[in-house]
Amino acid sequence: MGGTLSISSLFGKLFGSKEVRILMLGLDAAGKTTILYKLKLNQTMTTIPTVGFNVETFTYKNIKFNMWDVGGQDKIRPLWRHYYSGTQGLVFVVDSSDHARIEEARTEMHRIINDREMRDCLLLVFANKQDIDGAMKPLEITEKLQLSKLKDKLWFVQPSIATDGDGLLEGFSWVSEHIKKMPKYGAK
Amino acid sequence: MASAHTELPSVASRTASAPTHAANAARVVGSGSAADFTSAPGVPNQQTSLSSFPLYSRPTSTSDMSQPPRPPRSPLPPAALPSDTDRTSNPSSKGKTTSTGTAVSSQHSSLSTGPPRRYDAPTRRPRKLRSQYPRGATENHVEYILVASFDVDRGPVMEHQYPVAITGDEHMLAELMLPDQAHVRNQDWTIFFLHKDTSQEEDDEERRAKDERRRRRRRKRDREKGIIHESDDEDDEAGDLDDDDDDDDWDDDTSTDSEPEGGAGPPLIYVLNLVNTKQDKTVKRGAVVKAMAICTRHPFLHIYKPLLLLALEEYFKSPVPETLSMLFTAVNDMDLSLMPKLSLLERHLLQASDNKDLFVEKFEQMIQMRIAEDRGENVTDQPFDASRSPPKRPGIFRSGTKAHIEGQSTYAVPRDTHEFESRVMYKGIPIPIKVPVAVMPETVGDFSLIKLIQNFSDTHSKTPQTFPLHPHLTTNGPNTHPIIVLVNALLTQKRVIFLGYNLPSGEVADAVLAACALASGGVLRGFTRHAFPYTDLTKIDDLLNVPGFIAGVTNPTFEHHPEWWDLLCDLPSGKMKISSKIDQAPITEGLVYFQQQNPSHASLVNSSTNDLTGDVAFVADIQRGIANRAGERVIRAKWRDWVVKFTRIAAAFEESVYGASALYIGSDEHDTTAAGVGGGHGYVWCDESSKAKELAGNVTRIEGWRNTRSYYSFIQDVAQLYTVRPLKGLDLHHMHDRLRTQRLSPMQSRELYSTFAKYVHSYDEICLLLSVAPESHAGLFYVALGLFHKDRDVRVKTADLLERIAEHDAGQHWWKALSRFEKLAYVRIRREAELELRAKLETGNAGAAGGGINNNTHSGGSSSGHNNHRDAFSNNSLGHPSDPRDKRVS
Repeated sequence: MGGTLSISSLFGKLFGSKEVRILMLGLDAAGKTTILYKLKLNQTMTTIPTVGFNVETFTYKNIKFNMWDVGGQDKIRPLWRHYYSGTQGLVFVVDSSDHARIEEARTEMHRIINDREMRDCLLLVFANKQDIDGAMKPLEITEKLQLSKLKDKLWFVQPSIATDGDGLLEGFSWVSEHIKKMPKYGAK
Repeated sequence: MASAHTELPSVASRTASAPTHAANAARVVGSGSAADFTSAPGVPNQQTSLSSFPLYSRPTSTSDMSQPPRPPRSPLPPAALPSDTDRTSNPSSKGKTTSTGTAVSSQHSSLSTGPPRRYDAPTRRPRKLRSQYPRGATENHVEYILVASFDVDRGPVMEHQYPVAITGDEHMLAELMLPDQAHVRNQDWTIFFLHKDTSQEEDDEERRAKDERRRRRRRKRDREKGIIHESDDEDDEAGDLDDDDDDDDWDDDTSTDSEPEGGAGPPLIYVLNLVNTKQDKTVKRGAVVKAMAICTRHPFLHIYKPLLLLALEEYFKSPVPETLSMLFTAVNDMDLSLMPKLSLLERHLLQASDNKDLFVEKFEQMIQMRIAEDRGENVTDQPFDASRSPPKRPGIFRSGTKAHIEGQSTYAVPRDTHEFESRVMYKGIPIPIKVPVAVMPETVGDFSLIKLIQNFSDTHSKTPQTFPLHPHLTTNGPNTHPIIVLVNALLTQKRVIFLGYNLPSGEVADAVLAACALASGGVLRGFTRHAFPYTDLTKIDDLLNVPGFIAGVTNPTFEHHPEWWDLLCDLPSGKMKISSKIDQAPITEGLVYFQQQNPSHASLVNSSTNDLTGDVAFVADIQRGIANRAGERVIRAKWRDWVVKFTRIAAAFEESVYGASALYIGSDEHDTTAAGVGGGHGYVWCDESSKAKELAGNVTRIEGWRNTRSYYSFIQDVAQLYTVRPLKGLDLHHMHDRLRTQRLSPMQSRELYSTFAKYVHSYDEICLLLSVAPESHAGLFYVALGLFHKDRDVRVKTADLLERIAEHDAGQHWWKALSRFEKLAYVRIRREAELELRAKLETGNAGAAGGGINNNTHSGGSSSGHNNHRDAFSNNSLGHPSDPRDKRVS
């Protein structure tokens, strides 16, 4: 196993790493843009609401991630579908302290992954804002989002505190580990 | 037939709760304009035989524009023209006859009716000088002002609309006002268009009002003639209060004297939008994003930029409707009433010329009329006539000159006649505004063609792009220049997207507007109407319903959807991409016919071996021009020439392949008897083989063009312009090209020079001649070569013609640019003619002297008087034709 990995990273170095397109969605004010810029710049930015989208690329574990962060206000959610095609991984961000809207988050998430174009993609859920008192724990999030209902889907729930960067790399090491096995990535 | 009411599924229909406001229903462009063409009845498919070209009914709100289905192909042969002395230059008779609505009578009116020609004012403005935006006009400069904001919980929302709400989908408007990534920049401009639905009632209302005005005017005219109507008494008051309407009415009658404006529907509303993002720690989520938009029918919407900047700033401080109303009042108080209205030909001339004095006389006259008005004199009653021009008054100076500043005069003519200077008082601050005087169709905003061309040329010259072949697009093979690929895509109505990731949305909007102007050249239409200078994913479903859209976006997601577009122009990288999913070009009849007719050139079609189209040389010339710092105006004029050439080649192609073409209306009888009138028409090649080669190079894109909106509207425009243009039977462009490009025998050139001299007299006729001999193409050089013709008669007639041109408002500048060599020849010929005349008179043979010479001597006198009076406010030497002070030698 270790051997194959080093060969693949060598190939990555020789031929340039392959780009993986990641789509990050979630309700408004879940922390998507903060996650994006923490990963990209390793800085905590004070973000303002996203009008439209942000997109950045960053490299982690020799994989070049092309990550899209799309605004989450309910009126602009119907636009999410235009970003599906070609997406290999969905990062769904949940505000774990927002008990009132966890149902809404569940509905949106299931709508996304049930789309034909999102059939083959990985699902990483960031249970964000763990630093806030009363935040739901990953297990509770898993339950509330009814992730166990998903068949034939690779998913993973990662607790995180985007402002400190806690949990972000852990989440992406899960993605990088599994993305290589995806048919789209060219793995066997 | 297609009418203004062929309405499309509008956004409003999706939101059932949208309030409706019958008079002001406006839709966002792209809310499904698909039906525009797909459903327009009367659009023939390719198989329709050309002889039965259907005419788009010109959708008008004024039903009385009963245009004939199409003017006869060979209306009035010039051979049948009455002799010079019968021709009229009386403008009013022209106007009146046109108002009867039949093209036939109007054709004749300009040639054969009316009083005998008054030779002393042949080159004078033939029609009343009017303002583009008269005082007291009911139409506002700005129709609506909107404010939207990005609500942290709800997304884009509309905050205020003034003076009334635009109906339709308010939410969609708000989305357009808050462009993608507004949060990453403090300030961004966008432009988008709205299609206004004029309701049936409104139309009727308008028509009734116009009818009423016309009726009153007719009555007034009759009364002057002594005809009394029974109902006159009660109408008296109204009739007398009607002076402003009278102006308006003139417009109704003469609207045909300029180009058909709107084309395929009611005029667009242009929206200029400014969005600001302000970080603010005190508010939820740390920022306030607000946008303010001005909705206007003026295509020069960029003039409002400084005002929007001030007003949006003000709105951040006091977010109340009063802030909007203050701006609304300020912009609508802007006075443009001293900006003269130019005819289409005049606008062409002004656009193509760098001369800052061109048509300065018109500005001066506007001021004189105003001064007279201010003094309470009644001059609005009838067309202003230069021959009755009031004596020179003090107080008119060139704007910015010493005399102007010291003289404290109220009125000033502009420093550069291309721009009218006005101002808007906003909160007590005068904000200077410069309004373009001549705006060509499809020119919206203040884009730069140069910038667009450079954006894609620079990358291409460093790393040439190789395109996959597509017959419509890659007319020079895989290495076709990207700008040519772009213009081909627009001509053949492909879906074009400009993508500017990380660019302000204002920049993609400018690229879209520049592209429209590029393909239009001020000649073709149908691009801006289907342009979406800025749009985003929220409108994608509507956008995809529009065939051949031209859209600007900043979201790179569009690149991931090649099924959405045919050509993607990426602004940051300067690269273009032809979609992998583009429809293949069908093999058309025209292509097959052409190859059958020209077997020796069949293999050249779509070959990349030679520069058959001349586009490689053309683009090289453009790039040289840009490198040599040629201005925007020069580059636009060059593109205009390219588009004109394309349409003329297409006409020649249709004539040779299909046997007829609706792209040119003239007289084919004359072609056969060309010797008689020096006629002929169409594009000029030096020989048949070069013609066949050039057609071979163009055949695929011509065939691709032949089914598009711009093609059909061009046919419509050609027909419409034909009814109003001077010298209907003659193709001056063709004649001038022959002088320019062909080797002619003395007999042949004699024909051409004589025809010019014989038919080019009136103000409009001279404008037409000047437009085919632009200053950038050696001006009058080739015409003036007639001064050296071996035939004395030709020399004298050419001298007469040049004298007429030199007295013409615009022509004088062409005259001044003439080479010293040719001017000397002119003086010599004049002197000879004078001596001869004197000799004849002395021998008592006065009766035998030609009327022309007599008349011309007369007109020379009047023109020098004209000059004196002009010199008073302009220090430029506006010399008399024979003025030796002019040292310019080209």
